[in-house]
Amino acid sequence: MRRSDRLVPIGFGLAAALLVGFVLLPMAAVFVRVPLATLLSQLRSNAALGALGVSLRTTATSLAIILVLGTPAAYLLGTRSFRGAAALETVLEVPLVLPPAVAGIALLAAFGRFGLLGGTLRAAGIEVGLTPAAVVMALTFVAMPFYVRQAVGAFASVDRQVLAASRTLGAGDGETFLRVAVPLARKGLSAGAALAFARALGEFGATIMFAGNLQGRTQTLPLAIYGLYSADNLPGALALAALLVAVSVGLLVGVKVILRAGRTQGWEGWTASSRSTSGIV
Amino acid sequence: MSLRGHLPFRLSVAAVALCLAAACGGASAASSQGSNGSTLTVLAAASLSRVFPGIGRLFARTHPGTAVRFSFGGTDLLTAQIEQGVQGDVFAGASTKYADRLLAERLVGRPRAFCTNRLVLVVPPSNPAGITSLRDLATKDARLVIGSATVPIGAYTRTVLGNLDAAFGSSYSAKVLSHVVSDELDVESVLTKVRTGEADAGFVYVTDAAAAGSAVRRIDLPDNAQAVANYQAAAIARSTHPSLAGAFVDFLRSPVPQQALRRAGFGPPAV
Repeated sequence: MRRSDRLVPIGFGLAAALLVGFVLLPMAAVFVRVPLATLLSQLRSNAALGALGVSLRTTATSLAIILVLGTPAAYLLGTRSFRGAAALETVLEVPLVLPPAVAGIALLAAFGRFGLLGGTLRAAGIEVGLTPAAVVMALTFVAMPFYVRQAVGAFASVDRQVLAASRTLGAGDGETFLRVAVPLARKGLSAGAALAFARALGEFGATIMFAGNLQGRTQTLPLAIYGLYSADNLPGALALAALLVAVSVGLLVGVKVILRAGRTQGWEGWTASSRSTSGIV
Repeated sequence: MSLRGHLPFRLSVAAVALCLAAACGGASAASSQGSNGSTLTVLAAASLSRVFPGIGRLFARTHPGTAVRFSFGGTDLLTAQIEQGVQGDVFAGASTKYADRLLAERLVGRPRAFCTNRLVLVVPPSNPAGITSLRDLATKDARLVIGSATVPIGAYTRTVLGNLDAAFGSSYSAKVLSHVVSDELDVESVLTKVRTGEADAGFVYVTDAAAAGSAVRRIDLPDNAQAVANYQAAAIARSTHPSLAGAFVDFLRSPVPQQALRRAGFGPPAV
């Protein structure tokens, strides 16, 4: 064995160590820059509690919308082959590669007061811009693909013969979907929901452009972090950041655990989506 | 297989080397504009973003070999950035509060006043909420957008509303503030939300309203309710070009930049 052959694995290890350190150091810094007691006391400030409430309400609402609309859509795409299916799937993936600022301005151009649908909405007495509804729309727009991608993969890996058997036994399409396909795909669906939740929780760019920034109403956790940092309240900003690091890491670990428990379904979808979404979350 | 013969590995090494070279090259290119290689970085209040680039070009013309670049943002954000050690040479904020704080922390040299600004209420030309007076802000159901309390424009807006209580009754400012739908982090964002019609009204600087032209309708404030924004500039202590930074601060008070500021609607510096 030549000396250089032994050096190669060291090179691989070095590259990996550099990247791991590059990710771990900032996350650790969030916790150690300010004493833990200070972080905890900062979490009780009005800005922190307000943002926590807004984030929980809007993220939960948008996740509910994503599940209700995304599950049947993913079932259709995952189990049926039809003309245009690939194009449809691509459309639903577009928000993954769209910069959040673009999402924000696009939502404004469509649903803002003077957007494409602004007049129609106003005639119906609905104004979404700068309201909590706008936050929910922004979160739904950016987080939906994370669920749909995962769900399509999960449904696609459900054995078609099982679905066919369910219909043969007299179950309708709706029953087959709800009582057979969804339970069989549940691991992939849960993982997708967790990823979408994490993405929605972290949304910043589209929210600040489309929904504004009002404490207790539209100011989500990431907006509050930016606001507190701007206002020279570094401990306050770090406290919320620490909270988001903990929740996000928890969600990611949860996803891994769910998927490891059921490698037969969804795992491929997860690796594929994690590859194409890196850098967006 | 030997390392030398392993093409993908060699390619990746070459790629890494190229990236590093590009990164270093990029940095040196940015700082080598002009013959003596000086790029002055000015961190300036968002409200200066339309007038400062021209003043920067004037400065570069009178100081051959110097390039000036700007980072515009809310004065409070710029202050936080300087406190966190961001690279920069000159700080130009829209309030004395932040310059004083940076001075107390010994992060900037002595601040010098270079212009003033006043506030104005703006509404979209279509005026969807029918706001025609300051009193309407309290009585009509308008979606108002103002600066966050932590940015100068937001602080001045709250001062103005407090001043107006004298004229419109003590609950005026509270009623107006209850119509706020967004606390924006800089004045540009307030103006944008009014221009695009997402907000029914917003308080901005007269210079922003002037620059927006017919894109907004102005409702002037009575003189006794005005808040005067006092802009100050200071050289940043960690500047790598301290004399040039000081020269820029002095330059702002000289006649030609003062004319440019006046044309944009800024008032003379406070004494």
